Amino acid sequence: MKKSFVFSGSGGQGIMSAGIMLAHTAIDMNKHSTYLPEYGPEQRGGSAKCTVIISDGEIISPLTKKCDNLIVMNEQAYAKFGDSVKEGGLLVLNSSRIKEEITREDVKVLAVPVDDIALELGNVKAANIVLIGALIGATDVVSKDAFVASLEEKFKTKKPEILELNLKALEKGIEFGKAAK
Amino acid sequence: MPEYKRPSSLMPMATGYCPGCMHALATRLVADVIDELNQADNAINVVSVGCSALNLYSWHGDVIGAAHGRAPAVATGIKRCLPERLVFTYQGDGDLAAIGLAEIMSAANRGENFTVVFANNQTYGMTGGQMAPTTLIGQKTTTTRFGRDPQTTGYPLKMCELISVLEAPVFVARYALNSPKGVSDAKKGIKKAFEMQLAGKGFTFVELLTNCPTNWGMSPLDTLEYMNTNTIPYFQPGVYKDAEAAK
Amino acid sequence: MEKRFMKGCEAIAEAAVRGGCRFFAGYPITPQNEIPEYLSWRLPEVGGAFVQGESEVASINMVYGAAATGKRALTSSSGPGISLKAEGISYLASAQLPAVIVNISRGGPGLGSIQPAQSDYLQATKALGHGGFRAMVFAPATLQEAVDLTYNAWEYAERDRGPVLILMDGCLGAIMEEVELPPMKELKIENTEDWDLSRANGRTDAHMITPILPEPALEMLNRAKGMVYNMMWPMDAKAEEYMLDDAEYVVVAYGIAARVAKEAINELRAKGVKIGMIRPITLYPFPKSIENLDYSKVKGIIDIEMTIPAQMRDDIELQVKGRCPVHEYGRSGGMLLDDEGVYNAIAEITGGGN
Repeated sequence: MKKSFVFSGSGGQGIMSAGIMLAHTAIDMNKHSTYLPEYGPEQRGGSAKCTVIISDGEIISPLTKKCDNLIVMNEQAYAKFGDSVKEGGLLVLNSSRIKEEITREDVKVLAVPVDDIALELGNVKAANIVLIGALIGATDVVSKDAFVASLEEKFKTKKPEILELNLKALEKGIEFGKAAK
Repeated sequence: MPEYKRPSSLMPMATGYCPGCMHALATRLVADVIDELNQADNAINVVSVGCSALNLYSWHGDVIGAAHGRAPAVATGIKRCLPERLVFTYQGDGDLAAIGLAEIMSAANRGENFTVVFANNQTYGMTGGQMAPTTLIGQKTTTTRFGRDPQTTGYPLKMCELISVLEAPVFVARYALNSPKGVSDAKKGIKKAFEMQLAGKGFTFVELLTNCPTNWGMSPLDTLEYMNTNTIPYFQPGVYKDAEAAK
Repeated sequence: MEKRFMKGCEAIAEAAVRGGCRFFAGYPITPQNEIPEYLSWRLPEVGGAFVQGESEVASINMVYGAAATGKRALTSSSGPGISLKAEGISYLASAQLPAVIVNISRGGPGLGSIQPAQSDYLQATKALGHGGFRAMVFAPATLQEAVDLTYNAWEYAERDRGPVLILMDGCLGAIMEEVELPPMKELKIENTEDWDLSRANGRTDAHMITPILPEPALEMLNRAKGMVYNMMWPMDAKAEEYMLDDAEYVVVAYGIAARVAKEAINELRAKGVKIGMIRPITLYPFPKSIENLDYSKVKGIIDIEMTIPAQMRDDIELQVKGRCPVHEYGRSGGMLLDDEGVYNAIAEITGGGN
């Protein structure tokens, strides 16, 4: 099985690190994975996009026009990439920022107010983890345990509160994801 | 009386320089100092492009030819890999102060631990006497037929003055080779620079005011007086920076 | 073997260190900045030196100096910076100094685009600098291949005494995938006396390294190099040949383009289209695989590159010799190839897959 994920938003929303963490977790689960970032020329605030492919077998092409799962963090990203999710695919969107009506009827839509949830938990920076949680809840792309292990690894040198916050963010996201399954 | 003989770093052959050219004298001073410091087997001469490239063939020690203006970059690569060796570049004014301005300023600013010997004769010798960045105001060259006009070509670049304002260089000095005292001081300056390099102190820069009888269109003897009345008043000899003296 | 999930630029930087690289000089340019960033801390760990040059021009000349000391030296850049390095690369060829240059290429010409492209094929294979020399050009398609080719690149550079180029596009520089890292190479100081100023071999006589030679000697050097390029290098040519046995259509693609094309080929094969692929791994020497195809079966060659117009096409045509049509498909200027575009282009040419 091979699945593609496109994360899109603007620089600073944690898009790239979400993609890397997902790919890392897949590798830890002995799957194959590629992560391909695309940057604009701006150092901050420009558009950010990355493509993650996770597969049981060897990944031949890392470049795909349409993805199975599209994650959009803001309206600009939705306008730019909204069409790139395959028919029957999953569109996960940050409903804290995307207020417009989603017109596509051929995809499953999972609207999660990730910014609001993260803010409620104490830090908007955890929004990307809420998002991954939703993805895990809705798709079983990677196991929750494996992702928790990745989080523990990533934040092992930081204060314990940061890991705690991210674990809570993950849990919230998974709840949302499961509800939509 | 000390015996006057060929320095061991020079081949037993005539240099390719024109009669009366001070490049030959400058090269000899460098070679003499290398012998005095017992560095003949340890020195690496980074030769540049222009008349100075003629040293490739007459130099008897380890020598490497660099691209035009890039000798300080080549010397950086060498010295970073072989920090124990005595590394120096020998560059003319077109090479160092025009096409290689970025390389010389950056190497000086990084404080690379090698020595630059800069022969300033205010013209492009090998290509036929065109205007150099150091050509004096009013000086006639093949690209300034009516004399260098600052309105369109700016002013002669003073490299010692430029380099001495940088933090990193430890020794920056200019000497004129048109008098016995100037020659003797120049040799002392080169020696001091090499000694500082061998002690690991940092970037050292020795500018030598030289002549070009062929392209200046005068006899070697006349160039000596010309230098007194024209070159030296603009390019003032002296020690511009000496980290040891400052202490 | 040690497995790691690594970014392309960092993977080749680490492979270079393990392959014996002990000197790097370079200048920042997107999309290869992770190479100097990585080596700035990694080289000092193994007793090597890192210099951030004031320009690409200075950097390649620092590499020229370092290579002359017998150390394995590297520089990296992208299209516009490789143009600036052209001078120094030519001097390396002339002075017969071994060094490795990496081009993580982007959209061109001019400042072009910082996004990935394969627009430097002609520069890489025909004229990396003035004066008529050649450099061996390796074009990996996966990070594993990039690691393996970088690891061994100095062996070629030292054997043939000249520059070797590794050409990758920005996708491969930025992508993260799993790689197995080879062990740290044990470096032997041998056969370096011809270009090594270090005297590590116990050499006692003076040594001259020169990029300028008396005319008869220069002609002799050029003749000798010509023999190396024409007689020796063809044996070093490498290509991956994929599903050629019964192929009626053959895709020729290298690097990232070959990966996208392979996926399309697999899909078309599943639909009964007889199609295969030749993927040059060395772009110079250019492999002879296309010449030897069975043209009683082959109906067309499809050149797929992430650049417009296709740049490899001349080299392909020289081997096809008019025996079948040559088609081309590409994207350019930093617009990426994708599976759908490549599939549709091939399907249209082959009339298959519908």
